[in-house]
Amino acid sequence: MALDTAPKGWRSFARYSMLTIVALFILFPVYTTVIAALKPGNKVLDNPLLPNAFTLDVLKNAWTGGRLGRYLMNTTIVAFIVTSVQLVTSIASAYAFSFLKFPLKRLVFGIFLSTMLVPLEVTLVVNRRTIDSLGWLNSFQGLTVPFIATAFGTFLLRQVFMQIPPDLREAAQMDGLGHWGFMKEVAIPLVRPTLGALGLFSFLASWNQYLWPSLITTEDDMNTVQTGLRHLASSDLDKPNLIMAGTIIAAVPILIVLVVFQKQLVRGLTAGAVKG
Amino acid sequence: MAIKSRRLREIPLAMAMLGPSLLVLITFVLYPLGKAVWLGQQMCDVQGKNCKSVGWGQYTNVIKSDQFQHALWVTVKFAMITVPIGLALGVGLAVLADKQLRGMRFFRTIFSSTIATSVAVASLMWLFLLQPSVGVLANLGWLHNIFPVIKEPGLLNDSGTALWSVGISSIWANLGFTFILVTAGLQSVPKEMHESAYVDGAGGWMRFTNVTLPLISPTLLFTTVVLTSRAFQAYGEMDLLTNGGPIPQDSTTSVTYLIYGSSSIIKNNAGLQAAVAVLLFVILLALSALQFRGFGKRVHYGS
Amino acid sequence: MKTPNKSRLLLAGLTASALLFASCGGGGSSSIIDPGTTKAPASGDSSAPTEPPTTVATPLASLPACDTTALDSVTDTIDITFWHGMNGDLEKALIALTDEYNASQTKVKVSLENQGGYEQTLDKYLQSSQDSRPDMVQAPEYAVQVMSDTDSNVPVGACLESAAYDTSDFLPKALNQYFTEGVQWSMPFNVSDPVLYYNKKVFEAAGLDPNKPPTNMAELRTMSQAIVDSGAAAFGLSLDTGADSGGGWFLEQWFAKLGELYSDNDNGRLAPSTKVNFDGQTGIDLLTELQALVNDGLAYNVGDNASGQDALLKLADAEKPAAMTISTSAALGTVLTTVQGGLIPGITTDDIGVGPMPAPGDADAPGAIVGGASLWIVNHDDPAKAAAVWDFISFLITAESQSTWAAATGYVPVRSSALEVGAIAEKYKTDPRFKVAYDQLSQVADTPASLGAILGPQREIRTLSARAIATVLQGGDVAAALTDAATQANALLSAYIAANQ
Repeated sequence: MALDTAPKGWRSFARYSMLTIVALFILFPVYTTVIAALKPGNKVLDNPLLPNAFTLDVLKNAWTGGRLGRYLMNTTIVAFIVTSVQLVTSIASAYAFSFLKFPLKRLVFGIFLSTMLVPLEVTLVVNRRTIDSLGWLNSFQGLTVPFIATAFGTFLLRQVFMQIPPDLREAAQMDGLGHWGFMKEVAIPLVRPTLGALGLFSFLASWNQYLWPSLITTEDDMNTVQTGLRHLASSDLDKPNLIMAGTIIAAVPILIVLVVFQKQLVRGLTAGAVKG
Repeated sequence: MAIKSRRLREIPLAMAMLGPSLLVLITFVLYPLGKAVWLGQQMCDVQGKNCKSVGWGQYTNVIKSDQFQHALWVTVKFAMITVPIGLALGVGLAVLADKQLRGMRFFRTIFSSTIATSVAVASLMWLFLLQPSVGVLANLGWLHNIFPVIKEPGLLNDSGTALWSVGISSIWANLGFTFILVTAGLQSVPKEMHESAYVDGAGGWMRFTNVTLPLISPTLLFTTVVLTSRAFQAYGEMDLLTNGGPIPQDSTTSVTYLIYGSSSIIKNNAGLQAAVAVLLFVILLALSALQFRGFGKRVHYGS
Repeated sequence: MKTPNKSRLLLAGLTASALLFASCGGGGSSSIIDPGTTKAPASGDSSAPTEPPTTVATPLASLPACDTTALDSVTDTIDITFWHGMNGDLEKALIALTDEYNASQTKVKVSLENQGGYEQTLDKYLQSSQDSRPDMVQAPEYAVQVMSDTDSNVPVGACLESAAYDTSDFLPKALNQYFTEGVQWSMPFNVSDPVLYYNKKVFEAAGLDPNKPPTNMAELRTMSQAIVDSGAAAFGLSLDTGADSGGGWFLEQWFAKLGELYSDNDNGRLAPSTKVNFDGQTGIDLLTELQALVNDGLAYNVGDNASGQDALLKLADAEKPAAMTISTSAALGTVLTTVQGGLIPGITTDDIGVGPMPAPGDADAPGAIVGGASLWIVNHDDPAKAAAVWDFISFLITAESQSTWAAATGYVPVRSSALEVGAIAEKYKTDPRFKVAYDQLSQVADTPASLGAILGPQREIRTLSARAIATVLQGGDVAAALTDAATQANALLSAYIAANQ
């Protein structure tokens, strides 16, 4: 292709142009959202591309009136619980599948895998009834327990565990390390990057959950930031700037998490896991 | 002999390690699946109780119904819009940005950022852009003089553009995920592979198709499966952007929207809802199997 | 190699089956609500009755009882939870009222729980077990049949009896909306009906009298023509096809205005309806009229109104505004606040006019069906709780409360004594726009036709009629669209009866 024999400067220019164009596409909705969130009500429509007015009141209103502070706290608690327990259960089950021998192992693994294919729609209503009968509506248990086990996490970690050479295991056994010791001293440290990635994905998924929290929450105090946002959107459509302010408040914390941990996320996924 | 006793010896430990996960997965995934399958041939009252059997013919009835077929078609179209474009964009960007050049880190952060948006956040941002009266695009006079559909009837209200508009917001939202995954896949490819091809004199495009793509094919397969699965279960975008409309074409009524949407006519019919959900599961299962079988044979596995 | 053949086979198999079932539906159209599967199963199947249905009156004694004196012996504060679907300014007004109640006495403490909207409230209520249900719930006007079929409530009528409550100054229409099978199920609380909003400035610019809005569609057409011709606005009327407004609710309203039954069995008030009537001549004439307005450029279809406010927002459109729209009276408060906030440049709150909902054709047909929602007492087998809920409800329907509520929101007070006290008395005097919605409800006598239909799958049927109207407004054939919608609606009705009765 001409591109390869073209001078390096042209290639570089082409590369940067394409990247910039797409980057603009990514940033455009964010830009308009931020602008709107910082404008008072009567200025929102007249020039949506330019920040021709500025006020922080809208953000303040969204925070207090929209009760987003409380919702953010709920969401954070839920995400933390789900992420940490998921990591524990995933490590445990992945370890069992990788290093333990027991009958029916393949069958149980098959059961695990099959759950990955069941879409949310199938389970929602029945799960709501289950949670209801347990008395867990409007509770942190209800928001977290159905998700504390993940076949995806188990699968991912198992992939990485399987890459640990068996002589390492034998050497550990000869050093007198039982399973617990092996897990602590050898297995877990080796998969730390993957754990990081898995944890991040779990946190993100839990933070962004929408359908389930809206289904089992009837008390406003237990709303997460996503359901609270939806409520804001349906009640104040005549105040688009308020909704946009809410959107920003909902997205900023997770954005910060992402920017800080971006490298770890990629590194974790690179550790052979996604090779399949 | 030693092996046999080891198998039995490790059972308690295995139970302890697997037990919690298994319990949760069975209670909250497999049991509901079974119950849904059973419900699919029941007719229940508005509270989902007092169910009576109407026979497995209810499934056939759903398969043959216009609404289900239409919703399935909308869902397939949606997947055909979002998956190839999203994948191509993600791969293209990941390859372009996977260099230690100036500013690349900045670009990589931007392209990853949308993974931080939830369905609600992304959809609301795009609603603000696309709404025909108070939306951003509708209030840029010069823009809708060129494209009148932006205001009349609005990109989300026109049956031709509605699904594409929802699709673009979905592509935007999923780009972060795709980008991160493909970048990780690229970075797990040993540099020597690229370099040897370079030395052999292969050009950039050839290098891409003959070397890079096959090397990241496991990642591509995984990403495709996940993106397809997400596209097939799309709900939040439609709920916030179009309410499954515009009617009467129901241009954005996906299968999930058919079950749970606010304009759904099977809202208070638990049996039909379950039947549609189970059918969606079967289709997804078949699709995933197809993807693994069909493209799986092209996937290179490591060294 | 084996594998490629296998996968090719798989691909072929899947394609074949996809084609197979795609062609399956090719013949006649088949609905997901199939009358075939909605026949009641073997046990107790009934054939169509040959005698006309008689009123099915449910004796109050067979329903949960209400003892309004049960509160007297209680010493601790009773906490009651109230699920509602009020948003925005409406929610603020409700919070104010509730705070007032909580502060005024110590026996009952009410906790408000906003579920996000009418639908979410109803859905969650239906899906919850009885123990997880609140003590009091606000259910929309289309949910009367569904709610009474849950057998989960203490009928308000029982409390009315126990307290010997005098409802003589209530708007009969409001109470009757929630009265079927001989039982007063719930208490109307927020009552609304559709009114015509219009831009007075545009009227003036078009040479029309800004204080004389059109009273029927024929007048509306003439005025729209004047408006469009004069260039004062781009369109006369802004129409929407949302199920809760122009596509569903308004259709029922127009039938009621004409005194026509929307469905059989006296609009579902004598016995559950088995078929709808909107595919008859009345419906055809109505939709033809709307279609003509759009075709002649006099009306604009904003679509299915996903936000609930699209039709109103068209009046604020900067480039091609409409001059009039029909929308719920409950929006009046929000409209005025929004205009005051400057959303429409050049328009002050004085420029917004409100008129009665126009009748179809050139008829002189005042009146409207009660919309909004009502309050239901949930049965927890706890007389003290039921009495507590009744106490709160009776506060919400006092003349003073209704006056405050109506003035803050645009809802109509449920009793006429409210018009003489408090904020609404002032408001009706100084701002007669708020009174239009009230007058509409007291102009016509109550008959099954004028009260509107009570259907099990009422909202679903509204989505069907909305679909028909959308087809028609985009140029489709009126009779065919209505017949199609009616067929599916009838199937829904049969399915509902089979599953719930």
